[in-house]
Amino acid sequence: MSEILKYLTQTWNIKKLVTLLSLFVLMMTSGLPLLAQQQRFPKPEFESGYTQPVTSMPDARSDFFALFDVFVLILALSLITWLILKKRSRRGVLAVSVFSILYFGFFREGCVCSVGSLQNVTLALFQPEYSIPISALAFFVIPLVYTLFFGRTFCAGVCPLGAIQDVLLLRPVTMKTWLQKVLGLIPYIYLGLSVLYAATATDFIICRYDPFIGIYRFDATFFMFSIGAIFLLLSAFVARPYCRFFCPYGVLLNWMSRFSKHHLTITPNKCIQCRLCEDSCPLGAINKPVPVKVMEDRPSATKRFIKLSLIIPALMILSAWTLSNFHENLAKVNTKVSLANELMLFKPDAMLPSVEVEAFKSAGTPVEELYSEAAVIVEQFYIGAWILGGFLGLVFGLTLSSLSVFKYREDYTPDKGECVSCARCLKYCPVEK
Amino acid sequence: MKNKLGLIFSVVLLLLLVGLIAGDLFFEKPKSQKNIYEYDLDELRQVDSSLIAYKETASFLIDGEAVYGLALDSDDNIYVSGRNKLWIFNSNGEFQSSMKVRGDAHCVNVSESGNILLGVGNRVDVRKPNGGLNNSFQIKGAKAYISSIAEKDGVVYIADAGQKIVHQYTIDGKKINLIGGKNLEKGIRGFVVPSPYFDLMLGRQGELWVVNPGRHALEAYNEKGDLISTWERTSMRVDGFGGCCNPSHVAMLSDGSFVTSEKGLERIKIHLPSGDFKSVVAAPSQFDAGTTGLDLAVDSNDRIVVLDPSRKQVRIFELKE
Repeated sequence: MSEILKYLTQTWNIKKLVTLLSLFVLMMTSGLPLLAQQQRFPKPEFESGYTQPVTSMPDARSDFFALFDVFVLILALSLITWLILKKRSRRGVLAVSVFSILYFGFFREGCVCSVGSLQNVTLALFQPEYSIPISALAFFVIPLVYTLFFGRTFCAGVCPLGAIQDVLLLRPVTMKTWLQKVLGLIPYIYLGLSVLYAATATDFIICRYDPFIGIYRFDATFFMFSIGAIFLLLSAFVARPYCRFFCPYGVLLNWMSRFSKHHLTITPNKCIQCRLCEDSCPLGAINKPVPVKVMEDRPSATKRFIKLSLIIPALMILSAWTLSNFHENLAKVNTKVSLANELMLFKPDAMLPSVEVEAFKSAGTPVEELYSEAAVIVEQFYIGAWILGGFLGLVFGLTLSSLSVFKYREDYTPDKGECVSCARCLKYCPVEK
Repeated sequence: MKNKLGLIFSVVLLLLLVGLIAGDLFFEKPKSQKNIYEYDLDELRQVDSSLIAYKETASFLIDGEAVYGLALDSDDNIYVSGRNKLWIFNSNGEFQSSMKVRGDAHCVNVSESGNILLGVGNRVDVRKPNGGLNNSFQIKGAKAYISSIAEKDGVVYIADAGQKIVHQYTIDGKKINLIGGKNLEKGIRGFVVPSPYFDLMLGRQGELWVVNPGRHALEAYNEKGDLISTWERTSMRVDGFGGCCNPSHVAMLSDGSFVTSEKGLERIKIHLPSGDFKSVVAAPSQFDAGTTGLDLAVDSNDRIVVLDPSRKQVRIFELKE
């Protein structure tokens, strides 16, 4: 007990430090960009002979450092996996989390990131002219491979987005399973949308709405700062809100983790049903034992299976059809479609042109060319909306069915899909190897 | 109960996040029908009356086609240069004399010895106190445009707005040096002069103060051209200078404070020797909109004399009691 208290005291100090650090960073990111701005008027009155410099782009990270990042990722993943599975050390997980916040977060400024790399991979698959950086591909594949074997050890402390939320957790609130399941649908929607927008080369929305990137880069718009601040505030009460209810990459990791052979186990030996671990998981990812009497009989299971076999396809078709009706709304996020739409509605007699319209007109591109390009994109969105709708219908159906399925369990076991291997529960288990 | 409240609060926050992101992604922001590059100058023209420390006590009209430059001599006589002419008034604004000038005299200066120096295009005219031409010399360079001039102990400092440099000449027209050319090793960033307003003056210790209008800065140089001091204040508010190039003109009070005038936002202010804003002499509402070239001078009683080219007036401001 005293060891647990000592451990809690130590982790509390780290948490306090990280909380203070985060608050400082938030203050810096919110104010400095405004101070740096300078506005000037009116226009100069005569020619100054000034020539506009050619816009330059920062060089890409050198191959060596890109590979070094991959090396660090593998090293961190291996270390944390060993710490969780062999050493069963929560303290080790915390140490790796702090390292990830510092290295992948502040030093590498949150990029390259496995969560965002999902979009690079999608873009590479759908737009052959896009050449995916090897580091982005590695950051996408390696955590998935590790998860397939060892569970979500990447989420535990290597992902800087997960790590920053994890260390800020102070007073976790418990959620009912149904609520978790409902909110847990959001990542699937987010995944579907991010794939759709990346596949149509519209936008990388995961990066656009990454709540922590602005903090890691000391550079955030007010909007980014606001969502980042809300997520950090939530992290104090809800364990890993971004990971559980937003992260699209988490969906893929969840799928992989379900098949992991060497996933973390709460007890290193036979479970003695002491129930000490029962409330230890802030994510609600511990499956409780299911008594035999709750088990479903075969006829009713068959009946349910037939019902679901009919309901799920119906849900998929309904959802796909519904979303396909909104494909034009979805496509408006694309700048070409949005500009074409704006030009169609533009009335020169009654309206002032927007900056975008003015820029397009001054570029001299024929409007028909824009319209035909936009039409192709809208068509892509029509197909994409059918697929996305079908996918969401399937997810919704499977979620419904999972709520009604009873699995017989004797012991307390981690939910392989939902468990992020944070190792909190390990400390509560009195069983020794 | 506490847990339930926390849960409700958390779920509301989560849904708020979803709403914020979805709103930003799917809903078009209303596009402003205004020109987004246009400033609301009307708002910036408003000055808190408690900041205005001076009042206008006198003014007089100048009967000329156009007026450009202003200077005072040691007896506080007022010299106004303009198109083809130079006017001289006493400190009460009573006309004393005038003399013809060949061309537009954009600036004028009266040295301690009484010599009247006029900047006319790329030419410097040095006149005796009685008006007779003593000497005349030209600044080399196709773009040369003299916007301000000062003289001390036979050394003439000429602000050249066209070539963005200060020339140092002897009063006989012999070139000595160039001051303010970009030299980062010496900490000189070079003058940024996007408009034909580029002023200079001599400070209380004989140091040369030059306005670097594009940087909203004042820079002090010694007679060798070394940078000895500088301050800059960029601000859209009253505490600094805004726009492409301000201040357009400067003068110095007996305590070393700077009097500055601006264009765009037509106003005259006092800045402390440190550069910090002190007070307002005249607010934009006291000038015609669009007035430029408010040349300044300070007399022996620290009255601020302003040339208003729009109204063709000399206007005198004194500290409120």
